[in-house]
Amino acid sequence: MLTANRILTSVESCLLAAFCIFVTPVAARVACASEPVSCPAIDDKEFDRFFSDELWPKVGRAECVKCHKLAGDAEDTRFLLKDLSRLTKKERPAALRANQDAFVRMAHQQYEGLSLLLVKASGGKDHGGQEVLKPGTARYQILQNFVRRSSDPNSPAGAASVSAVDPESLFEGIAMLEDHRVLRRATLSLAGRLPTKEELESLAERPSIQVTKVGVPNIASAASKRIAFVGILDKMLCEEAFYKRLREGFNDIFLTVGVDGNPDQTVLSYEHFDKTRGWYQKYDLSHIADEKERREAGYKLAREYRAALLGEPMRLVEHIVRNDRPFTEIVTANYIMVTPYTARGYGCFDELKERFKNTDDAFEYIPVRLKALQGRRESENQDSRTGFYPHAGLLSTFQYLSRYPTTETNRNRLRARMYYEHFLGVDVLELAARVSDAAAVTAKFENPTMQASECVVCHKTLDPVAGLFRNFWRFDRNSALYGKREEGWFTDMFDTGFEGTALPQSDQWRALQWLGEQTAADPRFARTMVGHAYYLLTGRRPLLPPQSLDDPFYDARSQAYHAQQHEIDAIVTSFAAAKFNFKIAIKDWVLSDYYRADGLTKPVDSPERMAALDDIGIVRLLSPEQLERKVTAIFGRPSGRLQGQTTMLYGGIDSKEVTERAVDPSGAMGAIQRTLANDVACRNVALDFSRKKTERILFPDIEPDAVPGESAATDQKIRAAIIHLHQHVLGRVDDEASIEVMRTFDLFAGVIADAHKSGRFEETEKWSCRQGLEKPVPDPQYTVRAWRAVLTYLLRQHEFLYE
Amino acid sequence: MRRDFLKRCAVAGLGLTVPHKTLSATDEKLELPPYEGPYYLVFNASGGWDTTCLMDPKGTGRINRLYTKDQILTHGIHRFAPTAQHKEKGLSNEDFYNEFGNEMLVLNGLDYSVNNHSPCSRYMATGKLDSLAYPTFAALVAACQGASCPLSFLTFGNYSATGNLVAKARVPYLSSLKRIANSDSIEGNSKSPYHDDFALDRIEQALQQQQKDRAAQTRLPRRRHAENMLYSAQLNSKALRRVTPHIPKQIPKARLAQQAEIALASFKAGVCVSANLSIGQFDSHANNDADQMRLIPEFLEGIAYALHRAEELQIRNKVVVIVQSEMGRTPDYNKGNGKDHWSIGSIVFLGAGIEGNRVIGETNEQQFALPLDPKTLKTVDDNGIRVRPEHIHQALRQFAGIADHAYSQQFPLGVKKSERLTNLWENPANNPE
Repeated sequence: MLTANRILTSVESCLLAAFCIFVTPVAARVACASEPVSCPAIDDKEFDRFFSDELWPKVGRAECVKCHKLAGDAEDTRFLLKDLSRLTKKERPAALRANQDAFVRMAHQQYEGLSLLLVKASGGKDHGGQEVLKPGTARYQILQNFVRRSSDPNSPAGAASVSAVDPESLFEGIAMLEDHRVLRRATLSLAGRLPTKEELESLAERPSIQVTKVGVPNIASAASKRIAFVGILDKMLCEEAFYKRLREGFNDIFLTVGVDGNPDQTVLSYEHFDKTRGWYQKYDLSHIADEKERREAGYKLAREYRAALLGEPMRLVEHIVRNDRPFTEIVTANYIMVTPYTARGYGCFDELKERFKNTDDAFEYIPVRLKALQGRRESENQDSRTGFYPHAGLLSTFQYLSRYPTTETNRNRLRARMYYEHFLGVDVLELAARVSDAAAVTAKFENPTMQASECVVCHKTLDPVAGLFRNFWRFDRNSALYGKREEGWFTDMFDTGFEGTALPQSDQWRALQWLGEQTAADPRFARTMVGHAYYLLTGRRPLLPPQSLDDPFYDARSQAYHAQQHEIDAIVTSFAAAKFNFKIAIKDWVLSDYYRADGLTKPVDSPERMAALDDIGIVRLLSPEQLERKVTAIFGRPSGRLQGQTTMLYGGIDSKEVTERAVDPSGAMGAIQRTLANDVACRNVALDFSRKKTERILFPDIEPDAVPGESAATDQKIRAAIIHLHQHVLGRVDDEASIEVMRTFDLFAGVIADAHKSGRFEETEKWSCRQGLEKPVPDPQYTVRAWRAVLTYLLRQHEFLYE
Repeated sequence: MRRDFLKRCAVAGLGLTVPHKTLSATDEKLELPPYEGPYYLVFNASGGWDTTCLMDPKGTGRINRLYTKDQILTHGIHRFAPTAQHKEKGLSNEDFYNEFGNEMLVLNGLDYSVNNHSPCSRYMATGKLDSLAYPTFAALVAACQGASCPLSFLTFGNYSATGNLVAKARVPYLSSLKRIANSDSIEGNSKSPYHDDFALDRIEQALQQQQKDRAAQTRLPRRRHAENMLYSAQLNSKALRRVTPHIPKQIPKARLAQQAEIALASFKAGVCVSANLSIGQFDSHANNDADQMRLIPEFLEGIAYALHRAEELQIRNKVVVIVQSEMGRTPDYNKGNGKDHWSIGSIVFLGAGIEGNRVIGETNEQQFALPLDPKTLKTVDDNGIRVRPEHIHQALRQFAGIADHAYSQQFPLGVKKSERLTNLWENPANNPE
């Protein structure tokens, strides 16, 4: 029988990833091998810089440390390095020094007249990782330079010189948004609304300053401004709309609403919830007399129940953030979020009903600790020393486990891979290196994943974590998620644990809880969450270090990467200091130059500089959901044009097959933008004129009888109306004499002139554009339609469609 | 030298922004001229197909349980697995080869180098294993030959990175095409425009002037790129109205046929250069034969459908078809009667400019790839190359005439001249000139 599990994109039998330097015990021909090799005292700042800026990022981090680290495939060799990504910022300098010493020791060992470091790197002397660096390549040359300079620190750096770029200077010459515009950006992005008058006034009371790293003019003003801004942000991050955005943003990452099939059957398994999961089918709706209404009510009940089930993981994220709980709880929370509907599905409604405010509210979520699962057969009962389900935040939710299922041959490796990506920011399949003949490797070894070095490099990390999911070893549809392998866990996989630490026997029943605890303590977790905050705000993931040394812009990209890492480090520090309050990460990003950067203060003609700035500026194409919220914020009601099929057509995701949002508009999206602009203008211009002046949104200070060219005063009034529209719709503050105001004025006047030139036109708006008016709005001069053209023009602009 | 070239490109905006064709004011009222081909259809068997059930048959019990060696069929030069007896729905290999065998160029023994879905899909689609930045061939050819087309690169799934060269368009349903065809008309009714013509013209002119002014201003690269893309998307979307006449009245039910209809209608309207078509579930770790016999016939039926419809739309002679998967299946069955991932596979080409009835490369009886002489395209014992995706992509770039395009040079494949597959697309023996 075919199962849905087989369609998963998974980590299968063999991960063939990067080769590393495997240093086997040094043989007799190696000079000084029998004596411990001491670290030569090289006190040379230039040399240190060469190591930290050149050798380490381009060779050590890029290649060697993949295997030569604790729990790496070469952990048993003498050449053991520290993985800086697993350390805090404070710990890194000492670790970098230790790595430098390890490299120097290796550089000084000789094999047949050559440095052992070079010999091993090029695949000699039985190097377990075979050839990592081809002689003659840029990376090999850097290693050669290092070897030479480790003996003679005064020797020149050579062709591969130390990069001269300074991460700190990245924002020099960058124009920053003014405070009120940053505020508009943040309120629209995070709270789906425009800034209030009070918020703008509270900022306006303080002198405007640029909070840049370079040349802050007035520290006292900057601090005052920052306090005001933080105060506004604090309130904003408590609004309901923020929590909605938070759920939406994190679902873009975890995709848990994309569970296949009906969640009451795939999330709640037959084996453990057969008597309760279908509660809605027997729910008493007899009080509804009309049969059709009763049937509709039944459908609604099922629909909301399923939506509530799918919503649970993101409601957990919301609960943690809303209550300022440590964000580590997304992997450690000993509870899940349930509603009156889903509680019925779990079979615990009667115990909980007193805790709900409204038992008919499908979406009232409360934190709950489930009891250990009871199967239809005793063998399917869940092990538990506490009598409760061993919750581990998102990791152990049925939704997460269903969204990332396993198969007989996958052995939970997909789950381990997603775990690494979601919680530690490591994509184990990101840059798999080629193998000379992968098929031959697979065929040569009885168990390649434990024997072939090409496979071991990743499986040694991945498989122990896969083993931690061992208690969720069911993959037949309608069967169960929880369940153990009858023969016991696989012995032809690396032992269950986490990065070199074995799972204690006593924790086997709570293996995912144990994993959650390890994760929360890992510095990579905090960095990854700060990266998720960045993704939420920008739609982009943090930069990866540049890979190719042949890239002409390697240094520029490296500068951009290091500058961003520097910012991430700073935010991680305050995030950790605030007991992992996620709002701190969001706030720090909003206050950073990354969120404010908006342009260049002077032309840049250096391609290197342009490459370094390639990722600077938010410039995010709004998703259909964000765009609809923006329309609502600006016009007071949604467009209704970005729903159903159009959501997908406009670059949205379904969390199943389509999981990446569009970053650039296609022609199809361009067409939707046209329709949206046409329609929103159609439905709002005449409507706004039909309102009382005091209630108008778009035209508070002008009437349709103002015709351009009548008088200077009228023209000025029209320009003022245009300035208001630019500010309200686009968030742009333009001067009356600006080219943008002039262009809009010319459009308005030109349309009216053309209409009059055409000789004949109806004296009212189009029928479709005068629906729902509060009072008739005649259009004898064509001004209403001209204003509609203006609004259409504005709604098609970058400032409206992008963040 | 390449570094200098790329730097010059960067100064000119290439690579950081897309240099779209900017229509002049006089051109403004004209519509974007239709792109007239060639059109590229890339069919993906997502999940990893079993090539021994199709174009690389073995017939030994260890590798194939459905047929024996002596049951392997031939058509011209091709050898293929018999499936007529095993399929329930869709098109058998027999029927497919019978109709298209003379047009098909098959390359067996393709070495994917790794055997995981994610890197394999990326590698197969882009020709580059160790980069996340490279565009797929479909995206690259769309960017080089028709970036201004509103649906220049259509994708229905599978790896679809664009290298920031072109927007990827997702049009999930045929009805969606109708929906966007007349965007300046109320409810898509062309007789009921939102604006009078003169007003719409004024709006377009104002936007064009704004774009021109902004292009001359100092901008951050992301902003410049975004403004170009936005302007281009809106301006060129007007050409979408040409699609509606080619949308069929009857919408086919088969998933690949639906994708093909959207792609072909867009080709015919001249608004699309390439399309990435895909069906999944080939990842047959359990019950390999049942799964492959369900999916391969469905896949072939979809390809045949696309070619028949292209014929009806009179663009068949401009369509280039690439049929691929991200990996093969192991020579052995596992305990669940499934087959796991195998890093050796095959690829098929047919269509305009491709000489058919040819098979290049081979695997041995154990399903290992044999080295190939890139000049003669014959398998050799030694001194040959392992044909990998970068070789295929280099050849595809040459075939499409985009190998020297600035975009292609921005994403080099690093294939040595001596390793390029000479004469892959046509047999010099048949074309002595």
